[in-house]
Amino acid sequence: MNLEIIRRPFNRYFLRHNPYLFALFLLLLSLAINYFLQPNLFDLRVLNGNMRIFLPLMILAAGQSIVVLGGGIDLSVGTVVSLVNAVLITNLARESGPVEVLWAIALGLGIGLLAGAFNGLCVAYLRLQPIVTTYATSFIYSGLALYILPRPGGAIPAELARLYRSTPASIPFTLLMVVLLLLIWKLIRATRFGTFLYALGGDAEASFTTGIRVSRMRLWIYTVSGGFAALSAVALTLSTSTGDPRIGESMTLDSIVAVVLGGTRLSGGYGGIAGSIIGVAILGTIRNIISFANVPTWWQTLVDAVIIVSALAGPGLIKLLRRGS
Amino acid sequence: MKKITLSAQNLIKRYGGVVALANGNLSISSGEVLALVGANGSGKSTLGKIITGVVQPDGGDLHVDGQPVRLGSPQVARRLGITAVYQELSLIADMSVTENIWLSHEPRRWGLVDTRQMDRHTETLLELFAGTVSPNLQPSTLIGELPPDEKQVVEILKALSWDPRLIILDEATASLDSRQVARLFELVARWQADGRAVIIVSHRMEENYRVAQRATVLRGGEAVADRVLADTPTAELVQLMIPDSAVRVKKTAADDELTQRPVRLAVNHLKTKRLKDISLSIRDGELLGIGGLRGQGQEELLRALFGVVPYEGEVRVSQKDVHFKHPQEAIGHGVALVPGDRGTEGLLLSRSILENLQLPSWAQYGRILNMKSARSDAQAAGRDLRLKMGALSDPVSSLSGGNAQKVVLGKWLLRSPKLLLLNDPTKGVDVGAKGEFYQILDSLRAAGTAVLFYSSDDEELLWLCDRILVMHDGGVSAELHGEHLTHANLVAASMGSVGSMENHV
Amino acid sequence: MTIRGYKFPAPLIALSLAVLLFFLGGVLRSGFANWEQAVNIVRLAAFLGIIAAGQTLVIISGGEGIDLSVGSVVTLGALIMFRIGDGSNSMILPALVLALAAGGMIGLINGLGIAFVRIPPLVMTLGMTGVVQGVILGFTQGVLEGETPPLLATIITRPIVGRVPGIVFFWLIFGLGMWLLIERTAYGKKLFAIGTNRVAATLSGVRVNREILITYALSGLLAALGGVIVLGFTDIVFLNLGNRYLFPSIAAVVVGGTVLAGGQGSYWGTMSGALVLTLLTSLLTALQFSEAIQQMALGVILLLLLSIYGRQRTN
Repeated sequence: MNLEIIRRPFNRYFLRHNPYLFALFLLLLSLAINYFLQPNLFDLRVLNGNMRIFLPLMILAAGQSIVVLGGGIDLSVGTVVSLVNAVLITNLARESGPVEVLWAIALGLGIGLLAGAFNGLCVAYLRLQPIVTTYATSFIYSGLALYILPRPGGAIPAELARLYRSTPASIPFTLLMVVLLLLIWKLIRATRFGTFLYALGGDAEASFTTGIRVSRMRLWIYTVSGGFAALSAVALTLSTSTGDPRIGESMTLDSIVAVVLGGTRLSGGYGGIAGSIIGVAILGTIRNIISFANVPTWWQTLVDAVIIVSALAGPGLIKLLRRGS
Repeated sequence: MKKITLSAQNLIKRYGGVVALANGNLSISSGEVLALVGANGSGKSTLGKIITGVVQPDGGDLHVDGQPVRLGSPQVARRLGITAVYQELSLIADMSVTENIWLSHEPRRWGLVDTRQMDRHTETLLELFAGTVSPNLQPSTLIGELPPDEKQVVEILKALSWDPRLIILDEATASLDSRQVARLFELVARWQADGRAVIIVSHRMEENYRVAQRATVLRGGEAVADRVLADTPTAELVQLMIPDSAVRVKKTAADDELTQRPVRLAVNHLKTKRLKDISLSIRDGELLGIGGLRGQGQEELLRALFGVVPYEGEVRVSQKDVHFKHPQEAIGHGVALVPGDRGTEGLLLSRSILENLQLPSWAQYGRILNMKSARSDAQAAGRDLRLKMGALSDPVSSLSGGNAQKVVLGKWLLRSPKLLLLNDPTKGVDVGAKGEFYQILDSLRAAGTAVLFYSSDDEELLWLCDRILVMHDGGVSAELHGEHLTHANLVAASMGSVGSMENHV
Repeated sequence: MTIRGYKFPAPLIALSLAVLLFFLGGVLRSGFANWEQAVNIVRLAAFLGIIAAGQTLVIISGGEGIDLSVGSVVTLGALIMFRIGDGSNSMILPALVLALAAGGMIGLINGLGIAFVRIPPLVMTLGMTGVVQGVILGFTQGVLEGETPPLLATIITRPIVGRVPGIVFFWLIFGLGMWLLIERTAYGKKLFAIGTNRVAATLSGVRVNREILITYALSGLLAALGGVIVLGFTDIVFLNLGNRYLFPSIAAVVVGGTVLAGGQGSYWGTMSGALVLTLLTSLLTALQFSEAIQQMALGVILLLLLSIYGRQRTN
């Protein structure tokens, strides 16, 4: 009986955190290799440099994982990043004051949330399939981005860029943001929204009969995803200090790869944000390794892709081999 | 407990062109147990779903406590104290028992879900079924790890967690074993005493008589009668459900003649993860029944024989040693399986009746398919089965439950199987359709098909089969035939006790 | 869409839209709706239609099926013809065989990953896109040498009857073949079965994994064929030749009414979808809209069509 009591919370803990295990293993492995090739990897300067690049995709993947956990997918997140980046850069200049900066960021966030809400409306109330809906809206958002900012350019106040690169108390600002992201997720997870999210992704029909307002949940989920995309755009704008109407395009698929690498089930209801953040770190570290391992330039794409495919295949292969033996 | 009265008048529900409910009426108040009876497709589930707010009616009135209400969603119904135990469970596999039970009314502290309190409440609820479920059923167990009967128990507790004034039990006993059913009925009696109202929907007539005092009969979407059960014999109730109830066929094959026939299937020491050393044999034209409590490995046995589940041991089909690794190989040897759940395992719901009937047989119609002959073969099979359908090109989802089940059977009849494996084929099928199904079985048997038949309905097994293997905990606990083929023996063997009874294994 | 009880099939809606767009173009811009323009549009749609053929099969096969590797395989197919064919007509056939084999092989790897290792199709085929691009970059070292065999260009672009080039006739015959494959072979029937319900299909004797393997292999093979044909039109190869066909190939399938959830669809729908998309792009270009407006218009039209089809399904 006593044993039962000890086993239970552990069991629960283990099951909940199991999705990240393989990703964590991969991350440790790739970090070890990276460290071997680049011994100063954990120096503050290098760490900060890496984190600056990873953060925007981490935020985006976090938003994507919320959608995926809820049983959907958002193919428009990358174009929302482009759109918000365009909005930010057209509302900022090198000499913008704090009020203007806050206004621009608020505007950007608002537009991201609106774009997400529009996706949510289509999916929840028109009952369209998420994958094609967000694919269709991605054209609208990328068109808008191009309309607002026809060609790359623009600048932001230097203080903003400096803040993004800062290392208060010898910890990179960007790393603090990741910690903040995880804390927020932990809080969300403990609310009803968190429980409903997993329920909806696990079985939408059962969630409905249980009394969850499925359509409203879906609207919220896509809105939140739009908000995360906007935050990602803010980080990206601070990181690059400029605007580009196509800057986010390639990030959509990367965010999905990161979510899957992180152990979240693409059909919903299983996984979490921490995994996706680990997933982004893995993707970034692999790219570091390739450039430090002196892989000939023309072969880098292939090596990168083969490693990623193997990493994606990992959990499935392990299962397959176990079943075979 | 605040008293409740609910009355439904002239409820109408249409799905596309199909009228599911034409004139739904019922009334119930606190302290009553009402049985809602009717054949399949008579609108019981639809009526239940309207009362719980899952489905919106196209017409009619609903009154709760004398006030007209519009139940726009399950939440609204729940706020009025109405919950349901659904036939198709509303549980989420990747979430724990606790999370499922309290989903959408989690106790909260500081706006966050209070997991400790939730677990405590769950334990209290689980105690209601203590002794009838395995010790694995704990608040933190994931639903996906539970067997069907325990999932059903959780579904019941989930409805109860709302402390409802009115509970609807829609086929809630279908996957429970007899001890769990007994416990549930004790609870129903207690709820009744507490002043709750209960509506029970069950295909097992004796269950309705056991717990309910009154019955509302639905036929073709209309409420046709409201009877006090104590004054209404079963036959009369069935007559009300189906005006001209189909005649059952009696079993034929004589014992001594059977032994002359060739052995179609011989199984020796078959083992799987779940099954422990099963041996059996069936001759052509024989109907071998498999009985026992639910979830004792009956389904796994059929699946192993059909090549779905890996197994060890000897299997001989038509005097040939075989080891099927995929259903396709089994089909090649003249074996067919009618799975337990026609919606998820038997049918391609959105595809046409033709494609469903011909799915295992396309290869016979040439490299470029000869659609003309495929169509005429399917048409002929439909006629033989007395399939009520529009056109062969209509989606199979347009058929009623009984007719859809005929399609599942029909796709195998087109291949004239030598050995037919049936997994509880009459589960949730109404009396009329059952009668037709028995006739089909009979003609198959006359044609020499060997049939291995698992049923959760004891009466049906005893009445149809020449021999019954009773399974318990993955093994065969008894083989009953001749004079031993009695309900008492079947029940005793189901519980795993062989006792004084002669053991034929 | 249902009007007076008659349900209009999605491909018919798409086809009507194509005709409508064509004449709308004629009204908005004189000289748009003429024979030459019509031929030109059908020709451009043919490339997209052939490339989207494999995508149609993959999407019908269900299980969240989608093939994101078609773009890179189109490039690969074109590249193989360009290099191996190298301007020599006698090398067309060997180069074609090699291109198809390479495409089929890549599709087969996709299928293996999806069917056996259970990697979601979206990420598996995305990963393979990287691999194919990597292979192209690695082997060519960025230098694309070769020449299109002249006969190939002739077959595809030379008018045969009434200024209609060979590619259009090829597309019609190809479409007939696809119809036969989908509607009149055991493979096609099983394809719909696995797209609708994999458990029921297995229990009816369908070897689901084999069917998935064949489907993705066919998708790769057809994409490579598309690449060869596109080469006949463009005459030269560049590294992202196929990329611009990837998303339109999915859009064409969807506009044609094939359901992304699997189990329902047709190739003539995809053909109509390819026509609609090509017409739309041509029309917006002819009206001299900026790229920003073009993109938005495309998005809005896609969304509108989806809501029309979506409504239809719930009936």
